[in-house]
Amino acid sequence: MLDQLINGLVVGNLYALTAVGITQIYGVANVINFAHGSIYMVGAFVGWMAVTWFGLPLLPTLGLVLAASALLGLLVERVAIRPYTGSGRTVLLLTTIAAGLILEQAAQLIWGPETKAFHAPIADVRFRVGGGFIGTLDLVILAVGLTTALVLWLFLKRSRLGWAVRATAQDREAALQMGVDVHQVSRISFAMAGALAGVSGLLVGLYYHSVYHTMGFSASLKGFTAALLGGLGNIPGAILGAYLLGTAESLAVAWLGSTWRDLVGIALLLGVLLFRPGGLFAATRALLPEPTVGTFIPIGRPLRIPRWALLAAAAAALVLPLVVRNGYWLQVLATAWIFGLLAISLNLITGTAGQISLGHAGFLALGAYASAILTTRLQLPFLLALVVSPLIAAAIGVVICYPALRLRGQYLAVATIGLGQGIALVALNWTSLTRGALGISNIAPPTLFGVEIASAAGFYWLTLLLLIGGVWVAERLSGSYLGRAFRAVREDEVAARAYGVGLERYKSIAFGLSAFIAAFAGVLLAHSYTYIAPDTFTHALSLQVLTMVVLGGLDSTMGAVVGALALIAIPESARFLAEYRFLVYGLLLLAMLRFRPRGLLSAAS
Amino acid sequence: MKVLSVRNLTKRFGGLDAVKSVSLEVGPGETVAIIGPNGAGKTTLFQLITGAERPDGGEVYLDGERIDGLPAHVIAAKGVARTFQNGRVYGNLTVLENVLLGAHSRLQAEFGRPAGPVSGALGAIREVVTALSRPARLRRLEAELVEEAMEILSLFGDRLLPRLHQPAYSLSYANRRRTELARALALRPKILLLDEPTAGMNPTETEEMTELIRRLQARGHAILLIEHKLDLVSAVAHWVVALEAGQVLVEGTPETVWADRRLVEAYVGRTGGGAPKGGTARDGDSGAAGGRHLLRTGAGAF
Amino acid sequence: MSLRRAQHARVLLAGVLTFAVVTAGCSLAPTTPSGAQGPAGAQNAAQGEVLIGVMGPLTGDNAEYGKIWRRGFDLALEEINAAGGVQGRPLNYVFEDTQSDPKQTPAVAQKFVSDPRIVAVIGDFSSPASMAASPIFQRAGLVQLGITNSHPDFTKTGDYIWSNSGSQEDDAPFLATLAVEDLGKKRLAVLHMNTDWGQTSADLFIAKAESLGAEIVLREAYLLTEKDFRPVLTKARDANPDALILISYYNDGALIAQQIDDVGLDVTVVAIGSTYSPQFIALGGEAVEGVYTATRFHPADPRPEAQEFVRKYREKYGVEPDNFAAVAYDGIKILAAVLNEVGVDRKALRDGLEKAENLQTVMYGTTAFGEDRRLRNPRYLRLVVRNGAFEIWEP
Repeated sequence: MLDQLINGLVVGNLYALTAVGITQIYGVANVINFAHGSIYMVGAFVGWMAVTWFGLPLLPTLGLVLAASALLGLLVERVAIRPYTGSGRTVLLLTTIAAGLILEQAAQLIWGPETKAFHAPIADVRFRVGGGFIGTLDLVILAVGLTTALVLWLFLKRSRLGWAVRATAQDREAALQMGVDVHQVSRISFAMAGALAGVSGLLVGLYYHSVYHTMGFSASLKGFTAALLGGLGNIPGAILGAYLLGTAESLAVAWLGSTWRDLVGIALLLGVLLFRPGGLFAATRALLPEPTVGTFIPIGRPLRIPRWALLAAAAAALVLPLVVRNGYWLQVLATAWIFGLLAISLNLITGTAGQISLGHAGFLALGAYASAILTTRLQLPFLLALVVSPLIAAAIGVVICYPALRLRGQYLAVATIGLGQGIALVALNWTSLTRGALGISNIAPPTLFGVEIASAAGFYWLTLLLLIGGVWVAERLSGSYLGRAFRAVREDEVAARAYGVGLERYKSIAFGLSAFIAAFAGVLLAHSYTYIAPDTFTHALSLQVLTMVVLGGLDSTMGAVVGALALIAIPESARFLAEYRFLVYGLLLLAMLRFRPRGLLSAAS
Repeated sequence: MKVLSVRNLTKRFGGLDAVKSVSLEVGPGETVAIIGPNGAGKTTLFQLITGAERPDGGEVYLDGERIDGLPAHVIAAKGVARTFQNGRVYGNLTVLENVLLGAHSRLQAEFGRPAGPVSGALGAIREVVTALSRPARLRRLEAELVEEAMEILSLFGDRLLPRLHQPAYSLSYANRRRTELARALALRPKILLLDEPTAGMNPTETEEMTELIRRLQARGHAILLIEHKLDLVSAVAHWVVALEAGQVLVEGTPETVWADRRLVEAYVGRTGGGAPKGGTARDGDSGAAGGRHLLRTGAGAF
Repeated sequence: MSLRRAQHARVLLAGVLTFAVVTAGCSLAPTTPSGAQGPAGAQNAAQGEVLIGVMGPLTGDNAEYGKIWRRGFDLALEEINAAGGVQGRPLNYVFEDTQSDPKQTPAVAQKFVSDPRIVAVIGDFSSPASMAASPIFQRAGLVQLGITNSHPDFTKTGDYIWSNSGSQEDDAPFLATLAVEDLGKKRLAVLHMNTDWGQTSADLFIAKAESLGAEIVLREAYLLTEKDFRPVLTKARDANPDALILISYYNDGALIAQQIDDVGLDVTVVAIGSTYSPQFIALGGEAVEGVYTATRFHPADPRPEAQEFVRKYREKYGVEPDNFAAVAYDGIKILAAVLNEVGVDRKALRDGLEKAENLQTVMYGTTAFGEDRRLRNPRYLRLVVRNGAFEIWEP
């Protein structure tokens, strides 16, 4: 038991590094920087390069990494934040995601995709603690973590620049009035955050003796959880939160099993968000303060597409397979229609009702697994499964989202990440129901009235018909008083509540509807792949769908469909770019968000 | 029967008594004004009545029915409409949509029952089905609501009607506040709670608003009003309740209250022109003369 | 209201344009795959080339394996084309990047199916990605050869789905024999990756080990992305084993090896063959000294085909080959051999694979496909890590 506690502290030590960086800078700048993990990773690679190619000793390496990462932080600020301030938080979420994607791809192109061995240029002395050992690197990391925390704390509490940073965080306009150069403050914040991220990456890379280009994502998620536990903005809290997280995880592994580690982390994340959003050490249990004025985020008026145009588009799409006999493109379009359904469902919750959801892959999984289990275990016919699965998915969706309904903005966003991952992890661990990692295979292809839908054209028509149905439902809802109520919730929760729009009720309805529609996409997916496993529903998928919705224009149903079409078809037609494909895609996204942030299908202001 | 009856309402924030044992009543067709320096607890009182905050003590009755402790949206559905100190409209929605949303609870009551915690699921499903199927009953009610909205908006002359389909964020500040008021009226409220309806308005706009309030009074609305512009209060209020530090300092008809020494001291400070209590001081007047002086200084002295 | 009209016009224009682009694109776009080419061909495959479609990860999380595959392919192609190619025609492959993502494989599958020049397909890397595409290949009658697909259900989709990848049904039990019979260990702590491969391998290992009289004192699954093994190793230590069994890839295997000392666990480590890779030693350093494993080929393997392979690989790339390179090499060689025999035809290839008898492979020696469309009779070499290199070990 003691040993497991020590194990917890050892890993918590590593989390603390990232947590400290995240808590002060982002808790203060109020934007979740999804590029954080990528800077972390690049910092590690720069350090690896310094040690392995140039043979530098540790201290100069540390200095080099600090400088490089700070520069990278500045770059991200300049390219992905500054041009987009005023476009709303969702856009910033996406630009940082795009920035992170670009960095990751660039790193892979520069240094190659393999994991690199990384051996520390320091002597390793081991100290016996309990039944195990602690090494010099553990102590170095501890020292760096504490020093960083202390320096950061002193900077923010004692120096003038630190005051400027805190003032800007509290109230940007007021700080501006007081003569604070808010741009400089922004630059400094990101440079510091970048430096901390890079150093964390370097040290963790040294610790595990390896660096690889996907090391950033889970590190930043853990760091964020730890920072939240301690209360965003609370530096000592972040460190304690990190140790707590590490210990909770280690005990979970000891008592429950190794695959429970991440579930415990997510449970803690959600628990804090729901019951102690100010962190475990906050004085009050109160929810975060609400903005004093309704914030007018320019969502843009979705283009009103006249009915005849929609009918024409539907007709054209239906007729297409008769003109185009190409199986490949029909398959691509069918996939686009499936994602169109998914995008519509996300648009409903994020565009219309204003609830940012970054875990939508979870709803897809619910539908897919429901149908897979119903058809393979209970031998239900496809049509019945198609009808029943969305009902199951909606019910489960409402129940699990219910606790998160009180959250807003970035906290809701993080909670949805947790929920999305959580669903995948439950699918992984609940082996008796889902066969765990083995997944469910031999799912029968769709059969309607005894006829198997096997051809590319047949599947195209099936998906298109369901998409048309989905568009009809979404448009109908959107134009009804229910849609209006959703928008009220999005625009101003305080006013909505004061005018009879029960927040929990309507958010639940929105989530339920969203899960319902997404489940159809899930059913189609399961029966076309004929094999699903927990890792079919990744976090990357959630982000892709969100991008589709933003691209098409929030609160625009047809926009969601166009976004899906664009993001499925363009990478396909850009296959010749091969290894550069997703780099270009990230750049395209940034450009798109810069010049037409309200999406493709919204009226220009 | 009083429309609104507040008894011994209390609210504590940490160690501070924001509202302490406040009682007041609004009768049918009456207009009661709440005045007081900043921080006196006026808006908090509104929060307690509308259910945005839970009281720590006391009761609130609407038409004899107890409503304290109920969720805010339920209280709203029962007929309590409020406007906000800095104006909260739905920015990206049009003027018409804003006003129609005032009537939301009527639509929900019609198509979304039942509404309990668990049975609410059934009500929710009903709402979804109704929204999708758009039965004649729904279309009829919506048409009625649109008509009503137009009627309400015509109360504002040509301020809002020409801007019916413009998004609220594009309106001037004054028009936004008018839209907010129109939305409140669409709720068909039993009582209107107006929180500084003329804050930030110039004298002309203030005069328009005063006229509008008179028109609402003529239509029989019960109104509870927070205001700093004492001219306005004199013009429309039947009863004035002055709060200070969370407690009722003095109450009565406007004339009675203006003449009350305690009120003048609360606003202006003691004789001799000492440090002002809450707000900008005027030269050290006191007593009745000071009261009349308060009236003359008019808008936004605080 | 001319504003409304203008908007209508825009919508109409946009709609027409989109439709035009989409149909034109679909009709005119080259249906020929244009992904990464093997060395033998120019950008657009030369006339007369025999083409194999490959789907796998060139970018994304598993990109490093795609890179290793290409090395194996390219080496095989060199040899095959130097010897006259397939039925006198040069052999080449086209590699479409799928990121091993099941969302992308069906489309690529359709692409390959529609291209008449493609006579067989290799791929994908992971089971979900491969199996999402299998129905398409099966329906269209195009052979899909999985080279890293050990999911037990993989070949069951249909008779066009084949695999030369190691079957857990052979690998795992052999490992058990190594640990229990050869090394004489009786109390085993089993750590395995929580994937389809890891689960099944662990099940098979345990079944065999127990039948040989060993006791499983611990069985723990860990996530692919796990980095911190201290808690689970502490648990293992407390269970008092005399051997630690790792069912891992080389990345996580090396990580685990490094953390064993930290918790005060001091036992023999026996790891499954996918750890056999120069990366295992590079990443693990001193920590992997003394680790036992079993593989189906090794530089010191006296079999000529294995010797040749390793020597040429080392010469061409400057590093030692690993399992992933070997299966890729074998995959192309098997297809080439059968195609050469039966002619360049999709159906003939399928039948040929069924009937083929003396297939020469690096991993299996001389072998043939079994009824389950997997290769039979793997032969194993026992290895141990000594002085920073894998050495053959005899009990």
